[in-house]
Amino acid sequence: VSALVDIAGTAALYGAAVRLATPIFLASLGEVVAERAGLVNVGLEGMMLCGAFGGVAGSDLGGVGAGIVLGVLCGVLVAVLQSVSSITLGADQIVVGIALNITAIGVTSFLARTIWTDGNVPQVAHLNPVGVPLLDDIPFLGGVLFRQNPLVYAAGALAVAGWWVLTRTGWGLRVRACGEDPRSADSLGIPVIRLRWESMLICGALAGLGGVFLSLGELFTFSDAMSGGRGFIALAVVIVARWSPVRAVLGALLFGLCEAIAFRVQAEGVDVPYELMLALPYVVTLLVYAGVVGRTVPPAALGRNYVRR
Amino acid sequence: VSARAPAMRAVAARAFGGGTLGLAIRTAIALAGAALVGGLAVRLAGQPPIETLRAIIDAAVGDSYALQSTLLTAVPITAAALGVAIAYRAGLFNLGGDGQIYMGALGAVLVALAGEGLPQAVLLPAVLLAGAAGGLVWGAVAGALRARLGLSELISTIMLNFIAFWIVSYLVRGPIEDPLGGGYPYTREIPAAAQLGSVGGTVPVGWVIVAGMALVLWLAMERTRAGRHVKDIGEAEPAARFAGIRVELYMFGLLALAGALAGLGGAAELSGNQLRLSDFFSPNWGFDAVAVALIGRGSPIGTLAAGFFFAALRSGVEGAQGTANVPVSVAQVVQGVAVLFLIIANADVVVRALRRIRLRRSAAEAV
Repeated sequence: VSALVDIAGTAALYGAAVRLATPIFLASLGEVVAERAGLVNVGLEGMMLCGAFGGVAGSDLGGVGAGIVLGVLCGVLVAVLQSVSSITLGADQIVVGIALNITAIGVTSFLARTIWTDGNVPQVAHLNPVGVPLLDDIPFLGGVLFRQNPLVYAAGALAVAGWWVLTRTGWGLRVRACGEDPRSADSLGIPVIRLRWESMLICGALAGLGGVFLSLGELFTFSDAMSGGRGFIALAVVIVARWSPVRAVLGALLFGLCEAIAFRVQAEGVDVPYELMLALPYVVTLLVYAGVVGRTVPPAALGRNYVRR
Repeated sequence: VSARAPAMRAVAARAFGGGTLGLAIRTAIALAGAALVGGLAVRLAGQPPIETLRAIIDAAVGDSYALQSTLLTAVPITAAALGVAIAYRAGLFNLGGDGQIYMGALGAVLVALAGEGLPQAVLLPAVLLAGAAGGLVWGAVAGALRARLGLSELISTIMLNFIAFWIVSYLVRGPIEDPLGGGYPYTREIPAAAQLGSVGGTVPVGWVIVAGMALVLWLAMERTRAGRHVKDIGEAEPAARFAGIRVELYMFGLLALAGALAGLGGAAELSGNQLRLSDFFSPNWGFDAVAVALIGRGSPIGTLAAGFFFAALRSGVEGAQGTANVPVSVAQVVQGVAVLFLIIANADVVVRALRRIRLRRSAAEAV
């Protein structure tokens, strides 16, 4: 127990929590945008997985920048498939999402074995921590927040931007109208289908970026199904955060902290079975989700396709 | 040709409309599309598609040994898929097959190892029941969370998968690790009295059990009031509720039953194939099960058929490794794409657009 207390006091733990929260937050932010437009996107997990794969493939080809671009594009590609099937053709959003998750696992695993001989995916150029001048010297807080890799800072900026766009711009207002009452929105001249497409593509880009973070920010390589359920954790975060980008930061941080504790315990060799610690983020997700469910109000038209008559 | 043309046109018109035949034709087109994607993937892997297909078919059903390994592969996938299918009929998405298989196999291995020395007539049924019970508990957790609190089973079953995996991973690396395993994360082999054999050396008993389950479930869905209620809930939940059907009770029961089926599949896999529990016991069968159930459109018989088909594909690709070196994941690709194409082929807008074409054509014919 004293070893656990020791770990709990270190900046390293909270720094790791912020880092591990980032990919979950990015996916959650994307899902917030999509769900505000009335779209349930269960394919979030597949988008993250494809993003992680694209990140490694791109980085192998042309460095970290190329990895980020390719990973985001992979996420967007999955979003295009989701949009064509459900928004344009009216197929059930959840079933499409499930199909995309299954396909994503197969396709990324297949491509990894086809591109790299025998599936020996190399370690690729990855994201390194960059200190923010002056701020990183602040005791404790500097180590937690300001010695992170650039995508963490980008995620912070995106949280603010997401809040601004959804609550303070005309586009955000129209997107929310699509999620609450698409027929009325349509009758007011709001292009529901186009706005839903835009929201889903943004969601794909953000989830893809979250996936890039998993591969280039944490693992530095690709392994099968490496998204490890984080897309589904992000779905839970969206509900817990009551569809707010800012509260999603807090939700993601909670799960990041659980993961960080699990890894710290494993690394420090504390006498707790590390396998059971690795189950912690999933247990906490269930508990927190069970704690808030029923007391949240989702967008009224969530999950319902809109067909123009 | 001219004599056959009207008949051909009738078939085409049906494909564009609703009805069972239209559905069957659209399904065939979607599956053919998925096969095409599979062929492209094989080309991408640098293999000749036609020869590869022949090698895969050979390795899947070419002789009695091939058929046996196909059926063995089908056991856990189909068992879990039957659970997904019946829950799906009530509009529930059980993504928890993997966790339920692990918990089932855990229950089975604990009973099998504890019951060493018991006669087969006692031990084997106990092992299978323990498997069903283990899966049932895991499914019931998701069912209770859904029925009592309204927690989406989509999310809870995924979380339960990881929790089950880490529990098993912990146990097979510690408390129930094989002391003579040289550090490998698996248990001792289960005693012979707990092992499932095969009928006539070819058809695994596990598959016979699964096929029997499919038949029972089909009868239950089509011939009983409970089956009618399940379908009512899936078609219109508010109406079912209004009609006095206890929707929450059904949701709980269906997810628990789904878990029991997957758990039974895990037990049958343990005692009919792997004989040890490890933390690499299930290569993501839970997702295969979802794909198979969706391709079987939630019908137990359709699921049994789809389960055989995709087990043949997977077992065939694996068995053909020597002659045609294609990554095993090509089977997963085809499976996922097949689901996607099927949904698209049967999507609202597609069906309606096809029906419009059909109407226009018959109008033109009338003129």
